[in-house]
Amino acid sequence: MISAPDVVAFTREDEYEEEPYNEPALPEEYSVPLYPFASQGANPWSRLSGAKFSRDFILISEFSEQVGPQPLLTIPNDSKVFGTFDLNYFSLRIMSVDYQASFVGHPPGSAYPKLNFVEDSKVVLGDSKEGAFAYVHHLTLYDLEARGFVRPFCMAYISADQHKIMQQFQELSAEFSKASECLKTGNRKAFAGELEKKLKDLDYTRTVLHTETEVQKKANDKGFYSSQAIEKANELASVEKSIIEHQDLLEQIRSYPRRKLKGSDSSPGETGHTQGQPSQAATPSDPDELAEANHFACRPAYTPKLIKAKSTKCFDKKLKTLEELCDTEYFTQTLAQLSHVEHMFRGDLCYLLTSQIDRALLKQQRITNFLFEDFVEVDGRAVEEQERTPPKPSQDRPPSRALEECPVPQVLVTMGSYRSSVESVLIKMEQELVEEYREAEAAESSSFDPQENLDYLDLDMKGSVSSGESIEVLGAEKPGSVLSTSDSQASLMVPLSPRVVRSKAVSHRTISEDSIEVLSTCPSEALIPDDFKASYPSAINEEESCADDGKGAIRFQAGASPPELGEAEEGSSEDTLLQTDACCIGKESGGLQVPLSAPVSALSDEDEVVSVPPQRYRQKDQSFHVDFAVENASASSQDNSSEGFPAYELDPSHLLASRDGSKTSLDDCSDATSYVSSVASASSDRTPSAHATGPSSERHKKRAGQNALKFIRQYPFAHPAIYSLLSGRTLVVLGEDEATVRKLVTALSIFVPNYGRCAKPVKHWVSSPLHITDFQKWKLIGLQRVASPAGAGTLHALSRYSRYTSILDLDRKTLRCPLYRGALLPRLADHRTHIRRGGTYYLHVQSLLTQLCAKAFLFAFCHHLHLPAHDREAMEQAASRQASFLQFNLGLVNEDAKVVRHLAELLRLHYTQEPPSTSQPALRFDYVPSFLYKI
Amino acid sequence: MSTLCPPPSPAVAKTEIALSGESPLLAATFAYWDNILGPRVRHIWAPKTEQVLLSDGEITFLANHTLNGEILRNAESGAIDVKFFVLSEKGVIIVSLIFDGNWNGDRSTYGLSIILPQTELSFYLPLHRVCVDRLTHIIRKGRIWMHKERQENVQKIVLEGTERMEDQGQSIIPMLTGEVIPVMELLSSMKSHSVPEEIDIADTVLNDDDIGDSCHEGFLLNAISSHLQTCGCSVVVGSSAEKVNKIVRTLCLFLTPAERKCSRLCEAESSFKYESGLFVQGLLKDSTGSFVLPFRQVMYAPYPTTHIDVDINTVKQMPPCHEHIYNQRRYMRSELAAFWRATSEEDMAQDTVIYTDESFTPDLSTSEAYGGNIFQDVLHRDTLVKAFLDQVFHLKPGFSLRSTFLAQFLLVLHRKALTLIKYIEDDTQKGKKPFKSLRNLKVDLDLTAEGDLNIIMALAEKIKPGLHSFIFGRPFYTSVQERDVLMTF
Repeated sequence: MISAPDVVAFTREDEYEEEPYNEPALPEEYSVPLYPFASQGANPWSRLSGAKFSRDFILISEFSEQVGPQPLLTIPNDSKVFGTFDLNYFSLRIMSVDYQASFVGHPPGSAYPKLNFVEDSKVVLGDSKEGAFAYVHHLTLYDLEARGFVRPFCMAYISADQHKIMQQFQELSAEFSKASECLKTGNRKAFAGELEKKLKDLDYTRTVLHTETEVQKKANDKGFYSSQAIEKANELASVEKSIIEHQDLLEQIRSYPRRKLKGSDSSPGETGHTQGQPSQAATPSDPDELAEANHFACRPAYTPKLIKAKSTKCFDKKLKTLEELCDTEYFTQTLAQLSHVEHMFRGDLCYLLTSQIDRALLKQQRITNFLFEDFVEVDGRAVEEQERTPPKPSQDRPPSRALEECPVPQVLVTMGSYRSSVESVLIKMEQELVEEYREAEAAESSSFDPQENLDYLDLDMKGSVSSGESIEVLGAEKPGSVLSTSDSQASLMVPLSPRVVRSKAVSHRTISEDSIEVLSTCPSEALIPDDFKASYPSAINEEESCADDGKGAIRFQAGASPPELGEAEEGSSEDTLLQTDACCIGKESGGLQVPLSAPVSALSDEDEVVSVPPQRYRQKDQSFHVDFAVENASASSQDNSSEGFPAYELDPSHLLASRDGSKTSLDDCSDATSYVSSVASASSDRTPSAHATGPSSERHKKRAGQNALKFIRQYPFAHPAIYSLLSGRTLVVLGEDEATVRKLVTALSIFVPNYGRCAKPVKHWVSSPLHITDFQKWKLIGLQRVASPAGAGTLHALSRYSRYTSILDLDRKTLRCPLYRGALLPRLADHRTHIRRGGTYYLHVQSLLTQLCAKAFLFAFCHHLHLPAHDREAMEQAASRQASFLQFNLGLVNEDAKVVRHLAELLRLHYTQEPPSTSQPALRFDYVPSFLYKI
Repeated sequence: MSTLCPPPSPAVAKTEIALSGESPLLAATFAYWDNILGPRVRHIWAPKTEQVLLSDGEITFLANHTLNGEILRNAESGAIDVKFFVLSEKGVIIVSLIFDGNWNGDRSTYGLSIILPQTELSFYLPLHRVCVDRLTHIIRKGRIWMHKERQENVQKIVLEGTERMEDQGQSIIPMLTGEVIPVMELLSSMKSHSVPEEIDIADTVLNDDDIGDSCHEGFLLNAISSHLQTCGCSVVVGSSAEKVNKIVRTLCLFLTPAERKCSRLCEAESSFKYESGLFVQGLLKDSTGSFVLPFRQVMYAPYPTTHIDVDINTVKQMPPCHEHIYNQRRYMRSELAAFWRATSEEDMAQDTVIYTDESFTPDLSTSEAYGGNIFQDVLHRDTLVKAFLDQVFHLKPGFSLRSTFLAQFLLVLHRKALTLIKYIEDDTQKGKKPFKSLRNLKVDLDLTAEGDLNIIMALAEKIKPGLHSFIFGRPFYTSVQERDVLMTF
């Protein structure tokens, strides 16, 4: 029995219904789902999981005149990819929407069959029940034995994501058109060859029939023709007609290049056949015709056959395979192109879209791309070429890119047709590898040779620079150059060679409270010590009087530093930005207006300190700048050991000691005597790292991200280590195990800014002693710790440079580097982060580094920051304005500001330098106190 | 069914439509699959032009072929599939929406198609989604119409004992006409007033010497921030076409080139109608100084919208994606249910009128919750846009410095969006597990400001649809249901 409350409950339930009336509710098929993304188990990723195939693939189907629509092959050839998806059914579906009204027939007014060169049609359709959507590219190939001489085919890109296909429609269409053109070009050649053979057969048949007829005529003396003779005569007439028809067809197929190809790009393989052999079948005047004719010239001589009068067209004949229809070479090229397409569009749409947006945006910011972006990806021309370039098939060289990446597709119908292509692929891959190897070798030798040639320039930098404070050296030199310094601060001013025209130094004080800086930009050929001395005997101007506030600031400066002389040469390479207005760092005074040549010639004749305003910076001009500042003179004398390693660490034998290492805390009061040696590194270590030269693959990025994530979780001193890299201080990763060191170097390399258009300044593994130029070339170095007397040299050299570098000792788990206090790195490298995967962390780092680049760009090109507010504005005021801008507008304090300043400096140098990648990164030593971090 | 077939081609009914501007559309067709004769064309709509680019015979040929292969149709119940043809041989592109329906007692397959010249491919592709969404919805209504009509016909046949062939199967055409004409008008207006793919920054507010020169600093910040929070979908209204278009172009700077091609500038003399689905559109106020947005169409836009009035410097925004989609779906379902409930032809016809005058507002508790106005103030402040605007004006205008800086800003946003997607993907194992800690995400990805998170989520939603519903949907739906239950007492 139903009680009253139950009735109420039922009544209420009725009221909740959308239909208050007694009419039947709206059937669901006529409605829309209320929760399109949140129904049972639905999520942004699951809507693609309804399909029976695991990922996107390409299907080639044919409308066979014998069995109807049938799948021919898939790319990739792995049956796991398409799983239980019914390829037969889908082939039927996609082949039934062909719009191509291609036919061969006798059009009105024409006596012979006419070939219709139809355009390809493109269709996007789907099967919503199967969750399969496809871009279908229909094309027609010619086959002499086929009905109407045509064989309809289609290539379909099948995906579970309909939006992907529509959003990538134009890209898919372009890529498939390339594949189609390749197939059709091969087919035209094959068809022409087939016609030629047929013509020979017909010609031979005609000769035979003619002979037979003549014989019968002679034998016939009765005055009337026998039925046999009449039959022969009819056959002969039929053959004659057939010959004319086939000649006409041959003419039509050969005329195609003239009609169609002239207006458009020739297909990939078209040009590959244009050289060489004499024509055999015809005398074409057109290069394309010649090419097609040549194609057959190399074939073995064909033996004509007698054609029987009765047609052999019947259903038991074997139709040609796609490979036979298109010529093996073109077929292989097409497969390579399709493999490339499959690879290109593989994966989630969101990644495809983002990478396309990324590329478009990166093209608009070429000026900053060099810092942290992958060059291949960001170089607009390179990208476009990569996108546009079909697998550039040469005569016997199919594109290796796709073939290397993807297995050769599997033929579902005829397996045999693949054999040749597979063989050819393997051979080509080998060739490719050999070529690549040779190129690499050439690159190696070319990059190495100058080094060898300049070995004689290597100079020992004997003595020491004793300072508890900091020295900064900025230099830019050409490859293979050697920067030499001597054992005193003054002797850091290496004289320039008299043979080299250069700008002269301008020496004056800059504002610096606590650092001694040596800044230089000079080409390698200028680095002959004596010359340097001759040119700048008094280039360092010690202004002790400035130590007036009790802090004893001492500053040395020689030459115009890049920041000060950094105004760009007018009309230089970057056309997108007007340099004189845009790049403003270094614009300080009216000296900007001084003609470029004037200061150069004037200064070159002077051997004394020049205290004129900084002059225009020109990349080819050599300048040198020293800016020494000691914040606390008295402290410097006392704390002279604070910079270097503790004595026991600097002792090579100690560095060779066991991994449990020193427990001694940082001793930043000890004086360090550093020796700058000119001992050259082993030549084998001079070549660019293989890791650094190529574009990073996704896997490489993920791995690097994962290792970086491990690093920041394992090492509490990850922040100062990364700060070193971002601020341009070379970080040496020291360890015994090569794999461990390499892994960490790869991980940390994502934080290393590039210094030019060359590869990242990262050296993954060095086993020989480091040289001063290594610090110029490499900003992140993996150094082998060798527990043998031979390894002592390595560590000895390292100890010499220890004040200029940060050293991460993997074996002892210690880091010696300057202190970091800022807000940037806790966001960039937070050890408590919940990011799990390397790929995600890499993306996170990438986005924060992009943000950093934007700040550096703003700082570098913010005109009012670097231009004097008025003529008499002191540099201190300008510097204060800049500091204030960094703090209040960019929210940067302490070391964060230094990072942005460093990146801005790189931007400015990169912007003002001329395009060729001849310049080396600036050599910069920071004599700021280092600290020893331990786990 | 054969007895109900219209006469064969070329005697296909045709509606010629007079458009004020150039029409990129060649024709629209409605075809069906006849069980005996195969594909047949029922109706053709074509713009009235002097130069006939496609004859009726050609249109019929093309339209018939849109149903090719559909005898094998294997679709989910109620599915409306989209087919897209590029026929170089014919020089046309065709967009077909294929669906099953009951008409006059038979279940059959139908196709509503629009035909454009192939030269308009790049013009059309960015607008594909807009066209398909609008035609899809009219088909949903049309199917109900067809179904209801069948029932009425059966009743009439039983009552009168005769068949009125001339009346049957005709009434869906006026309904389709009611949407085909606006689609033609939309394409025509886009042809003349769409935002160019490349925008010169000199035509935007970002070219000002200093922030606040053209418009108030806070207004600009709110406008751009809200624009980004609503997935780049904004309506700019004002009395001056020049002023409106400057803001339209400024907002379009923050869109991709394809999205810009799906945005429209304001007409100088008279105002366009609001079009659902465009990213940014400028609309001119009438002489009384007002522009009334059609509620229904705003609801049917794929993303929430920001409403910007350049006269009074106000910025209002719709609720975020998951709420918008939920409201939209409820609205659609209510509309279709009301359509289904209509008992007479007059009621259904009434609905057509309702459609045009936009007074149809079904009972939506969510809209009531907003006091009947789905636009609200911008509540969440962000740091990303603020920092950008604070910084960009430090760069000298007139060079490409600001463009470069803008590109960097957009790159940061896109990379953050991708990182966010990947983060959620990792955390939930591609949606297999519920997403737990939004707080961790905010800290880890440096998105602690609510506005920043909204901006990045909105960008992520565009490249990964459904992300909002996945992250925020469940608590939202639960709260809505709880509120509904409470309101019943």
